[in-house]
Amino acid sequence: MSLGFSQLKALVIKEFKEAFRDKRALMTAFSMSLLAPVMIMVMSKTMIKEMVEKPTVYAEFVGAEYAPKLMKDFRDDNILPLSEAEGDSHAIWEKRGIKITIPETYAEDMVNGNIINIVLNADYSDKPSLAPIRRVKDVIRDHARAIGYKRLIMRGVDVRILRPLNIVEQDRAQPSSNAMMISMMLGLYLLMGAFMSGLATAIDSSAGERERNVLEMLLCQPISTLKVVLAKLTCTSAISMLSIVLMLTVTSISVGFVDLTKIGATFSIDAFTFTVLLVLLLPICIFAGALQLFFAFQAKSFKEAQSTVTMLIMLPAFVPIALIFLDNRPLWLDWIPVAGQSIIMEDLFKGLPIDWAALAVTSVVTIAMSAALVMGLAKKLKSEKVVMALS
Amino acid sequence: MIKVENLHKTFGKDVKALNGLSFTANDGEITGILGPNGAGKTTCLRTLYGLLKADSGVATIDGISAVDNPIAARAQLGIFPDKFGLYERLTAYEQIDYFASIHGLSGSHKKQAIEEVLADLEMEDLAHRKTQGFSQGQRMKVTLAQALVHKPKNFVLDEPTRGLDVMSTRILRDYLARFKAQGHCILFSSHVMQEVAALCDRVVIVANGKLAAQGTPEELCQLAGESQLEEAFVKLIGSDEGVAA
Repeated sequence: MSLGFSQLKALVIKEFKEAFRDKRALMTAFSMSLLAPVMIMVMSKTMIKEMVEKPTVYAEFVGAEYAPKLMKDFRDDNILPLSEAEGDSHAIWEKRGIKITIPETYAEDMVNGNIINIVLNADYSDKPSLAPIRRVKDVIRDHARAIGYKRLIMRGVDVRILRPLNIVEQDRAQPSSNAMMISMMLGLYLLMGAFMSGLATAIDSSAGERERNVLEMLLCQPISTLKVVLAKLTCTSAISMLSIVLMLTVTSISVGFVDLTKIGATFSIDAFTFTVLLVLLLPICIFAGALQLFFAFQAKSFKEAQSTVTMLIMLPAFVPIALIFLDNRPLWLDWIPVAGQSIIMEDLFKGLPIDWAALAVTSVVTIAMSAALVMGLAKKLKSEKVVMALS
Repeated sequence: MIKVENLHKTFGKDVKALNGLSFTANDGEITGILGPNGAGKTTCLRTLYGLLKADSGVATIDGISAVDNPIAARAQLGIFPDKFGLYERLTAYEQIDYFASIHGLSGSHKKQAIEEVLADLEMEDLAHRKTQGFSQGQRMKVTLAQALVHKPKNFVLDEPTRGLDVMSTRILRDYLARFKAQGHCILFSSHVMQEVAALCDRVVIVANGKLAAQGTPEELCQLAGESQLEEAFVKLIGSDEGVAA
């Protein structure tokens, strides 16, 4: 075994020993990979419940007695008068204050064919009120349309004249893309996981070592700074990768507890998806590690490193969200780190065929950028500025 | 043998840390390097480690230039740095093993070297404990062991006795004396005059980035016309700037 390799091996082994004995850092690394799948499961369960069920809505009705048929339609849609609510739900719905006012002249106007104003008074900025408001509006609109149709039929007019055009919708989405919410969250969590899991280790092995006065000792040894950086990067990326494997495994199990068929969707992580995701995210783990080490090594203290590097986590969270708002994506976005992977992940979750060329290019670009960071850092560690900052 | 010739080093525009410093530390001798704070000792030692590049002049370790070939020069050195920290999540043995591997030891040869240095420093009972919570003396032993496990020909210590109790200081002194007897070259920086007087064969006094005087402790006392090395030191550096700096 050559000296160069055995040195690198010793460096790597030491980094792993230290990282795996740092319980606090490991907990941070793996807590996310364990919590994320649970969160995905809970959130999708709630979402499905909202989509499938029609929970009771209580609204304050004024003049209910003037429009009994409309009231029946409301009741059929599980929208009930506030007076029927009991206990906690009465307080909740009273606070939400959805108020529907039916005019006294309802019956008379109906006979005369006048337009009747039904007042819907609510706080449209209150998020929990949005679904109830939508349902109230739907009931009123359907009721009104039914009356309108009857009037036309009575006059011998075919109601089809109201629908000169008909849309025939053909949804090309694969069944799995209906689970968009889950896959989007998972994609975001995976990218965040890649960036966050190695964070504590990266900071501890760079700024932490500087603060504990072991960096100077190491820099005085007959080894190249490149080896030092490579050893630390290997350890940081390995921890990120491990965390991602854990996250995917737990997610594939936990998604089994969500009954997606209720919303006509399927979602599962099969061996193929699993492998592609790992191949896709390995370069990201390396890139994240390189980026974190690059900044953490330049910080003067552990604290400074923490605040600088924590900002880097915004990157993976920000990029996929920005991509959603970008309708016409420029082509180069496919290639740059994080954005490229995010786009391929989206296709993968939608069940579209994978663009292997794009995957290769984005991986190569990501690795190349990581290599540049590593070389830059190795050079920086040789500089006098870094040495002077030691004491 | 460590040789420093006409070293110049300026930081920024006008902070002259080294101003033509020259001295030689011979094999089989303990050379003490004395100087007030800010005299350029640490800068000089960091140049020897190849961490800093001198503006001009040469620093060689067994004939290898620390400026041109720092990695080869460091391989000839055992370093006890100014600030020594430990990897607190490793045991003492693992830490010594780590530095032995960096210096290219492996297999049974490495194991033997580690056992030897542990026995020499009487630290077998510490070996398999994590270094977190070690006392200053125990820390010194670990640092010393990791610096010497590869049996370097040349050994540089930057204020090694700082914060040590009498027992630990004696262990260190005994150990250095043994190394000297084996023909190693030892360069030793300190602020404790009695220690320098007792231990060093030759003393190099540095002030304002250059050599102020050199010789055996007795020679320096004679040169300054004083009986105590401390008085001689103050006289030789030419001022009491050490207090101010």
